[in-house]
Amino acid sequence: MGEPAIISVRDVHKVFNGHTDRAVTALQDINLDIGPGEFVSLLGPSGCGKSTLLRVLADLTSPSQGEVTVNGKTPRAARADRDYGMVFQQAGLFDWRSVQRNVELPLQVAGAPKDQRRAKALEMLELVRLGEFAKHFPWQLSGGMQQRVAIARALSADPSILFMDEPLGALDEMNRERLQGELLRIWTDVRTTVVFVTHSISEAVFLSSRVVVMSARPGRIAASIDVDLPYPRVAETRTTPEFFAKVKEVRQVLHAAESEQAPA
Amino acid sequence: MSAATAPAPAATGRGARLLALLPARYRKQALPVAVTALLLLGSWQLAVAVFDIPSFVLPTPTTIVTAFFDDVGTIMAAFHVTVTAVLLGLLLGAVAGVAVSLLLSRFASVSAPVLSAAVLLNCAPIVALAPIFNNWFGVTNVMSKAGVAAVMVFFPVLVNTTRGLLQVTPLHLEIMESLAARPRQVAFGVRFPNALPYVFNALKLGSTLAVIGVIVSEYFGGPAQALGVYIASQAALPRFDYAWAGIFVSGALGLLMFGAVTLLERLLMPWHASLHEESD
Amino acid sequence: MTVTNIPATPGAAAPRDGARPPGGKSAAGGRPSGERARAARGRLANAFGVVLVIALLAGIWEGYKALGQALGDRIPLIGLGFPVSTDDLSMPHLSSIIGALGEPASSGDSVSLGMYLVGETTVTLREALYGLTAGALLGLALAVLFLHVAPVSRGLMPWLVASQTVPLVAIAPMIVIWAGKADAPAWIAVAAIAAYLAFFPVTINTLRGLKSPPATQLEFMRSVGAGRRQTLLWLRLPAALPFLFAGLRLAATASVVGAIVGELSAGTGRGIGRSILTFAYYYSNGPEKLYAAVLIAALTGIVFVQALAVAERLALRNRPTR
Repeated sequence: MGEPAIISVRDVHKVFNGHTDRAVTALQDINLDIGPGEFVSLLGPSGCGKSTLLRVLADLTSPSQGEVTVNGKTPRAARADRDYGMVFQQAGLFDWRSVQRNVELPLQVAGAPKDQRRAKALEMLELVRLGEFAKHFPWQLSGGMQQRVAIARALSADPSILFMDEPLGALDEMNRERLQGELLRIWTDVRTTVVFVTHSISEAVFLSSRVVVMSARPGRIAASIDVDLPYPRVAETRTTPEFFAKVKEVRQVLHAAESEQAPA
Repeated sequence: MSAATAPAPAATGRGARLLALLPARYRKQALPVAVTALLLLGSWQLAVAVFDIPSFVLPTPTTIVTAFFDDVGTIMAAFHVTVTAVLLGLLLGAVAGVAVSLLLSRFASVSAPVLSAAVLLNCAPIVALAPIFNNWFGVTNVMSKAGVAAVMVFFPVLVNTTRGLLQVTPLHLEIMESLAARPRQVAFGVRFPNALPYVFNALKLGSTLAVIGVIVSEYFGGPAQALGVYIASQAALPRFDYAWAGIFVSGALGLLMFGAVTLLERLLMPWHASLHEESD
Repeated sequence: MTVTNIPATPGAAAPRDGARPPGGKSAAGGRPSGERARAARGRLANAFGVVLVIALLAGIWEGYKALGQALGDRIPLIGLGFPVSTDDLSMPHLSSIIGALGEPASSGDSVSLGMYLVGETTVTLREALYGLTAGALLGLALAVLFLHVAPVSRGLMPWLVASQTVPLVAIAPMIVIWAGKADAPAWIAVAAIAAYLAFFPVTINTLRGLKSPPATQLEFMRSVGAGRRQTLLWLRLPAALPFLFAGLRLAATASVVGAIVGELSAGTGRGIGRSILTFAYYYSNGPEKLYAAVLIAALTGIVFVQALAVAERLALRNRPTR
């Protein structure tokens, strides 16, 4: 990483219920730098704090301790400036807005004029290949299509960073793999930095340029593994020996981290 | 009551269980509620004094209390007449509603139009039946007041109970089916327990509807000693502090009915979520 | 909205243009495009069923009457009297009730009873509509206040709930006297009583609706830097709309009841509530007139709520059926 980090996390701790006897340490000693244009996956078992870490970056929750900068600012300032877009596990589209008006929403919050919003929304819908569904309503789309709309929505305000919290977690395996391919294509187009939370090893390896492995109780970073498989990655990439080798490597690190934690 | 913030202790004895019926939510929330009440009553009393509001606009809380004790015999006699009609109406409406609903649930296919008709009829101002019942049963007969209350209670009980009996989790039905349960067992094992919360929701609504139904019927004429008649006649005299005393007693009646139904619910359905939801 | 929770909305209709999305399975689960037509047919069948049920009720009325007349209002063998006697004074024939609508309202009057009652009804409906409007606005404002100011909500809410277990109609005579002392026209008092009965269901339902958006949607609004006002305007209020309508339907019924009760207490001299009181007074002269008035009052309430239901369907036409 020769370039300056776009996201930097220094000595972050996060404790829930800190003032009671039911205190839970969700994050401990987190240090992480993410460079511009990287596709970083946060991978780990449930309860390892990977979603909490993402939410700290997105200023949806604040760290108990430590320092975070996003685009050289505090997460709060980055959020206010719409420096990042966010995609959740649930598409969370608004039932009462057409697909196009859903995508317009971040621009509307920012106060962009109507025709500019419209043009940008249509452009984003073309990007996720849903241009012809602009006038549809969310409930008329399948789960995978709704998630693509959510991606278009996250990108509509031209953020330099995309935060994704298990965005494909609710989809079936077929849709999941198809959308992974779509996501890489979109990422190649827009070249944003992506932080992607997942608990699927193969998904993390297939998508990411780097996999950050986390371990649970307390949530810590166990390892950071570069994935040097060349882009563009396609369906056939999944069957290459290099891919298998990388999946195996990540799995071993993950299991090692886990058994280290497991009490006797 | 001393453990104001600690989660409810594991109930062991009978007394502890009864105490647990008072949810922690109430204990925790009692303060803002009491403060609001004191603020309201205090500012009421103060406003009347400061702005010199004439008593026909608003008597002070203290004069209302004085009026209540002054006329306590008449008011309580009227209360007795009204409460009899309310209880009778609530009982009749609930029994009729549950009975028709049990019948309906046996014929699920016809239940949809019947329920739709019930919802439609419930949009009609049922209190308008009061003069008809006055003529059917006689103005002074308790049935003429209880009847209106019963009809008002009947519809929500019918609609809710039928929904509770029919909207059973398919999984539960499949489990019973896999056990080769007889229809009776399905009814007692799945349908009735499922319907119980629905019934109680309707009864809570019904308990306040019954009071409204009886008091409005009394406006249409009835025995001289009844709360609705008392309020209207004192207001016309005009003795407003007495009218307000009557209004507050009718309010207490509504709260009493609602509280009684809620208590019954807690006793009959100890498993219900509302007992446990305030654990944190 | 994910694949996993789509079965929770089984009524979801297919895309309106009938074109099924290519690739990926449709959320509508490959339902034929005639879904809407089928829903319409279902509604028609239901309406037909409702008519049947009401016809059945009318049959029970006439059947009971015929039985009572044949048996002299006594149950044979036991000798117990019928709970309601079946003579024409207590239970007029449905035909004479309907027929009364066509006859003059009072002897020597050129206006038919039906027309007269409809005229009185419009008075009541106007009062109820004013009351509903005022009550709904108040209810909406209270819901927004309760959402944003937690201490107010905690302190006031239990009292608001308690005030509903209190028979609000008991205060009707007081409101009428207040309005009278303030030299306000009587209809204002009636509308105020209607509003008083109407605001609560709106408050409760709207508040529930304002709190209904799932965490994901709220967090999304936060992630794009939306403020309180924007979140309220673009997320919470639209999400609350179905709840608001549910509350309005209850409020509409309550406002008609409130208007009728208000008319009883107020000396307006107009309105369906007054007519019912008058015909009840002259009951022995023509019982069918009272029944006709009650019938019209019932129809008024039903039509009022149905009109609201139409508005609801129009406003929510783009939403998934729940």
